[in-house]
Amino acid sequence: MAEWTNAKLGAEALDLTGRRALVVGAETASGRAIALALGEAGADVTVCSSTSSGDGAFAVKKLAKEIEGLGRKSSAVAADVALGTGAQVMIRQVAKDAGRIDVLVNAQDLFLAKAAEKTSDADWARVIGANLSSFFFTARAAGKEMLSRGSGGRIINVTSVLGERAIANVAAYAAAHGGVYNLTRALSQEWGPHGITVNCIVKGWMSDSPAIADTVPDAGKTVRFVPMKRPGEPGELAALAVYLASDVSGYVSGQALFVDGGLSTHL
Amino acid sequence: MVLEQFRLDGKAAVVTGAGRGLGKQMALALARAGADVVCAARTAAQIDETASEIRALGRRAIAVPTDVRDSAQCDALIKRCVDEFGKIDIQVSNAGIGDMRGAGAEVWDVNDDDWHDTLDVNLSSAFYCARAASRRMVDQGHGGVIINVASGTALRGYPQSFAYGAAKAGVIALTKSMAVMLVKNNIRVNCIIPGFVLQSPPESEQAVEFLGARGRYLPVQRLGEAWELGPLCVYLASEASSYVTGQGFVIDGGGLAGGLAPVGFAPEAP
Repeated sequence: MAEWTNAKLGAEALDLTGRRALVVGAETASGRAIALALGEAGADVTVCSSTSSGDGAFAVKKLAKEIEGLGRKSSAVAADVALGTGAQVMIRQVAKDAGRIDVLVNAQDLFLAKAAEKTSDADWARVIGANLSSFFFTARAAGKEMLSRGSGGRIINVTSVLGERAIANVAAYAAAHGGVYNLTRALSQEWGPHGITVNCIVKGWMSDSPAIADTVPDAGKTVRFVPMKRPGEPGELAALAVYLASDVSGYVSGQALFVDGGLSTHL
Repeated sequence: MVLEQFRLDGKAAVVTGAGRGLGKQMALALARAGADVVCAARTAAQIDETASEIRALGRRAIAVPTDVRDSAQCDALIKRCVDEFGKIDIQVSNAGIGDMRGAGAEVWDVNDDDWHDTLDVNLSSAFYCARAASRRMVDQGHGGVIINVASGTALRGYPQSFAYGAAKAGVIALTKSMAVMLVKNNIRVNCIIPGFVLQSPPESEQAVEFLGARGRYLPVQRLGEAWELGPLCVYLASEASSYVTGQGFVIDGGGLAGGLAPVGFAPEAP
């Protein structure tokens, strides 16, 4: 029987050396863990704060230094990616500075716990802007860049189990994340023929999740509904991002892959 | 370092259906990541070959001819792993037959034997192996990993063999329930859900052309290749997936994410 001469099964499978990655929302715990992991796997990484807040900009500057410490190229940028022009200008600049973008990670995350009937127009716009529109705006700009080069790419959207099922008091957030799932599927169909895969990493209750932190009474007890009886750590998302960013995941696309301690077995 | 999370040095794995196709590639990938592997299948010559390729990588490997429809043989298989390597850390239940008895038949024409045989080889086998492996993993006290192989045919209507689709849907349900039950024992249970994946490289020009044409209906414009399951299997078998259990990871070129129509059937976009 013929053998697969093109098989990549060993250490070379996940090597990202020479890849140029952009992690948007790198000021979040998940974004930070993923950016570091991509750097550890060999990629050069631009880290982007998804807001123009001083704290976010400071955090990604520090992170870029850490990634440089791994021996990779790294730089820090900040943009309000909830605005189409904000995302576009930032990504054009990153593509110019880095030479290209092979991997786009969207890890921005703005949680809002609020009763539906009290959610204002401004609340809705802010949550949909940060958690859904920004994913489209960055993907549109980076996708255009990937398409123009013609050598494919990887888009990885970090999203929440609240996009698959809901709890009370998160209507806008759940709607936004559900939107990211189907945006992911749609882009996978449209850009698949151009070598671009698009997937979601779906996080459950993480140690830094606002959903289990200060907004829920008895927050620590919420994890009892997770089969593993503990929240996930940001680092536990990172290995999957490395796999999805690599060459060997080319047949995985349009998927929502859950890293949730088994929480979604209840769905 | 993140890449170290994918290492399996010192782990002992059992892979069923390891003689060819997906199972062979997963066995080789686990070995490349550091695991010792028990290779099981019905045909001795094929698993002998897989085992010798693994030994050539510097790992330990044995071939154990097994008919996974027989639970006693599954018990014996897991016991062989423990006898040989002192333990079992990873169980990959991949054995199955896609081109089975009753395929293509009308609903009213599938007889009891065809139905039962399809369920035995594709669903019961996963239970028998998980039962035997989990018992050992609990006795060992340090948990383990079970990886089942289902199929995209479980998630869509599959007229070519509804029994196969039903059996594989059973594998997904089995995975979820076992994951919840075994979490207390530190055993993670997940499944890989492949779409169209070639078992071996096409060997004729005609085959290349035919399969290429089929691949163009998928978003990624090609069919999958067996080796592509290897790295995904290593991910699910290793600490890299420490917070993942009860999941089905689909690897299908974007087929299920579309599903409504093959690529090429979309609204005009000027």
